[in-house]
Amino acid sequence: MFQNTKCECGHQNPVGTVLCESCGKPLDEALLKDENALLEMRYDGVARRSQKANPHFVDRIWNFFSSVKIAVYLIVITLIGAAFGTILQQESTIINLTERSEFASYYKEQHGTFGVIYHALGLSRTYESWWFIGLLVMIGTSLVVCSLDRVLPLYRALSKQQVRKHLQFINRQHVVYSGELTQNKQEWLDRFAKELKRKRYRVWREDGALLAEKNRFSRWGPYINHIGLIVFLLAVLGRSIPAWHMDQYLTLYEGETRQIPGTNYYLKNDKFTIDYYSDEELASNQKGTKVVKLYETKARLYECTDVCDDPTREPVLTEVKQHDIRVNSALAYKGLKVYQNSFQEKVRFISVHPTLKDKVSGTDIGSFDLKMNQPAEEYKLGEYALRLIDYYPDFGLDEQTRPMTKSRDPNNPAFVFRIAGPGIQDQGEVYVYFAMPSEKSKYYETILNESFKQRGDNSGRFSIQVDNPIVDGQMNNIEYSAFTTYLNIRMDRAMPYVWVGAAISMIGLIMGFYWQHRRIWLRIDGDKLALGGHTNKNTYGLRADVAGALGKTGIAVDPKTLDNRRNVR
Amino acid sequence: MKWWLDFSSDAFIVAFFLYCASFISYAIAVGGKKWSNRKPAEHAARWGKIAFVLAAIGWLAHLTFFFTRWYGGGHIPTSNMYEFMTFLGMAIMFAFIVIYAIYRNMMLGAFTLPLVIIIIAYASVFPSEVQPLIPPLQSIWLKIHVTMAAAGEAFFAIGFAAALVQLIRVVDFTRTDKAGRRAQFWTEFSLYVIIVLVGFIVAVFAFRGAGYEAKFTQETVTIDDAGNALTSVGEVKYTLPPLVAPYNSETESFQSFMGIKKPLVEAPSWMNGVNAGRKLNTVVWSIIAGSLLYGLLRLIARKKLTAAINPHLSDIDPDDLEEISYRAIAIGFPVFTLGALIFAMIWAEIAWSRFWGWDPKEVWALITWLFYSAYLHLRLSRGWQGTRSAWLAVIGFLVVMFTLVGVNLVIAGLHSYAGV
Repeated sequence: MFQNTKCECGHQNPVGTVLCESCGKPLDEALLKDENALLEMRYDGVARRSQKANPHFVDRIWNFFSSVKIAVYLIVITLIGAAFGTILQQESTIINLTERSEFASYYKEQHGTFGVIYHALGLSRTYESWWFIGLLVMIGTSLVVCSLDRVLPLYRALSKQQVRKHLQFINRQHVVYSGELTQNKQEWLDRFAKELKRKRYRVWREDGALLAEKNRFSRWGPYINHIGLIVFLLAVLGRSIPAWHMDQYLTLYEGETRQIPGTNYYLKNDKFTIDYYSDEELASNQKGTKVVKLYETKARLYECTDVCDDPTREPVLTEVKQHDIRVNSALAYKGLKVYQNSFQEKVRFISVHPTLKDKVSGTDIGSFDLKMNQPAEEYKLGEYALRLIDYYPDFGLDEQTRPMTKSRDPNNPAFVFRIAGPGIQDQGEVYVYFAMPSEKSKYYETILNESFKQRGDNSGRFSIQVDNPIVDGQMNNIEYSAFTTYLNIRMDRAMPYVWVGAAISMIGLIMGFYWQHRRIWLRIDGDKLALGGHTNKNTYGLRADVAGALGKTGIAVDPKTLDNRRNVR
Repeated sequence: MKWWLDFSSDAFIVAFFLYCASFISYAIAVGGKKWSNRKPAEHAARWGKIAFVLAAIGWLAHLTFFFTRWYGGGHIPTSNMYEFMTFLGMAIMFAFIVIYAIYRNMMLGAFTLPLVIIIIAYASVFPSEVQPLIPPLQSIWLKIHVTMAAAGEAFFAIGFAAALVQLIRVVDFTRTDKAGRRAQFWTEFSLYVIIVLVGFIVAVFAFRGAGYEAKFTQETVTIDDAGNALTSVGEVKYTLPPLVAPYNSETESFQSFMGIKKPLVEAPSWMNGVNAGRKLNTVVWSIIAGSLLYGLLRLIARKKLTAAINPHLSDIDPDDLEEISYRAIAIGFPVFTLGALIFAMIWAEIAWSRFWGWDPKEVWALITWLFYSAYLHLRLSRGWQGTRSAWLAVIGFLVVMFTLVGVNLVIAGLHSYAGV
């Protein structure tokens, strides 16, 4: 279809122009047919970039994404897709499973046939699926294309506006007034312009015609918002750059220091505290239940400064940060963040402080510190020396009833010592010591020591035990960790961009929604006054502005009568 | 502290009754225009003024409730369902006052007040005692995120109220074609849904007043981190007669109600929210009570409720309502974006170490935002202005309510509150 784009005022408009760029006369056929219809004022009626006479292949793609209709479709499809993802639990929230087959059986067990279909359709991974990410990418593309397609022509149109507009343009606005002007033309115009200036309008005049405008900047709000959204989406995509993103979990019992995998940092859990609300603090329907008031990990962050890669030597650590990590208070150091994730009540030995006793003379020879993690090999107690010859952190018996350790965790630690000193046979005496003060462990200890005695490895003269293991109901001479803390270690180099994007977007929204671009065109032909006003939002406010200014200059009108929609209907 | 909390609940009751009085005054203003020996315009203006003043004083009492509870409880009262819903009611009143200050449209009050009354009555269904904060909620963002999100949603609520008035105003009861009948049906249906909500509140308070209770033991199977299936037996207490029993449960005690001595059906297994069976039972009861209430109103009106209201709206301009609805949504949209998405992301980053985790509540906040984005874009084209955008505003508020309430009822997630 070819359109005659030359306006009667002589201006040559691009194809797709709805209202003449210069005088504002309607060019669109539909608008020409119905003389009373309100004007379509979107983008001031200028041709968008996508409205070309002979679109190319690339143009067609551009045109596809430049359509607001397509953008709305994309938004609606995305929101429906996102809603589907909330019907059942997503795979990512099921921490203990990893394999596809495991997930399949999980959904089958939990949700039956529906679960099988849900999983098979991939809805259990909605937000990581190709189609969902594809939709987000398409929305991003649409944001860029739609904005560019409109903002440049609109900018052009708004920066070179004609003061005198075609009568049809004025009379077919949303807000209109027409009437006889009985007063002096120039004087009235001066007063009217002054009134509008007081309402912070910028006013241009051109022999008998007037253009008043305010808050044009609000027109850029949507585009700034879209720029913010694009930055946001790009930042979110940036999180998939491996070096920009780290997400791992570290479990630490109290007193434990561990390297954060893949970094030069070490983290130590000095102490884990948990606090519950007392019954008085709880509401009546909570009384008797345990409601957590606080849990925190007193943590220290170390950086390795020397001997970092030599497994045979201890690394040299320098403390760089100390922080009490709570749910809403992470440890932060140079972009690295350590969050309190959860905790587990799990008793774990750290060390005991046993005493070596001479049962024959009834004397204490001496006591020593025995660590569960990498215990020392020699202990000097006066004239006596203990040599650790075997250590089973998690004692158990294998199929041939030989002693073995079930794991590396000190769940039931057994130490085998060779004692040397005065009055002891040359090869020393061998004793086993179980640190766990449980009946079963002590039973093993007695039996094993008895068998050593029968073999002649010891004389039964010595015993190793903890003095006063319980004082006032508290463990004494035994150090243990009551809780294991789960910390989440994160690094997210893209986050600043995410926030910048969000901030730009917010600025755009506020500009666009809390101010409105208002324009008033006026022309006086003879003694006939014609006024048209347009705003993209809040015609109510514009009508009040116009009625106020007219009233102050001697033309009393009710704001409601300015509404052109009523006249048209 | 106790004294402040008691004072606070008194203020709440005062606010509730003032809102009710305001609503009645609005009803008189709208419905009494054609009463004898008065000029309609004067009558409406006088009663509209009385209603607005009552609403404003009610709001002050509501504010008093909020701040005394804050002081007495030691933390901002937005931490559980009761507190949040009462706050939402207060926010809607704030949004109403803002929009009223701009447009001075009385009809808005006539439809906002019942909405607020329903919402705070709904809040009262939940346990109202102050509960101490669990560690994740101990943050300044509890104040910022929750209040801002509620403020945004409050403006959407005003957009909804205006859109509903507009729809009732423009329904053409003389039309018999398909589109006309459809418009009549869905407008009526919207009112029915609101009445079902009222039915819910009525049912809960009626049975609570009668002291009804039934108990079940329910066996639930959960899978722990190590992959073991753990079976736990819990007790589920019903305060409404159980037509629907919890999934996999046995009756422990059951007061018979109108000859019903055992539950009629058991809840399906896929409803995996906390206490899903009881919630489903509540929904069933709401529909029963709401339908009875609706039937009663129909008997009184002897015609469709929309048809009964419609003639009283003839002197308002639907275009004004459309503009109010759009404007309220346009004011609420940035507030919602900031409060429910950006501040939520900041808090999630601080507390949960990730700004976005596709938790159902987060997803539904995003869905709400996308929905209103679509609404704002559609309004750019003229074809979607008028009735169609009014319908979008109504559906949008349904999405909001689903995000606030439905997600907690149907879907389990990080944002779980206690619920009936």
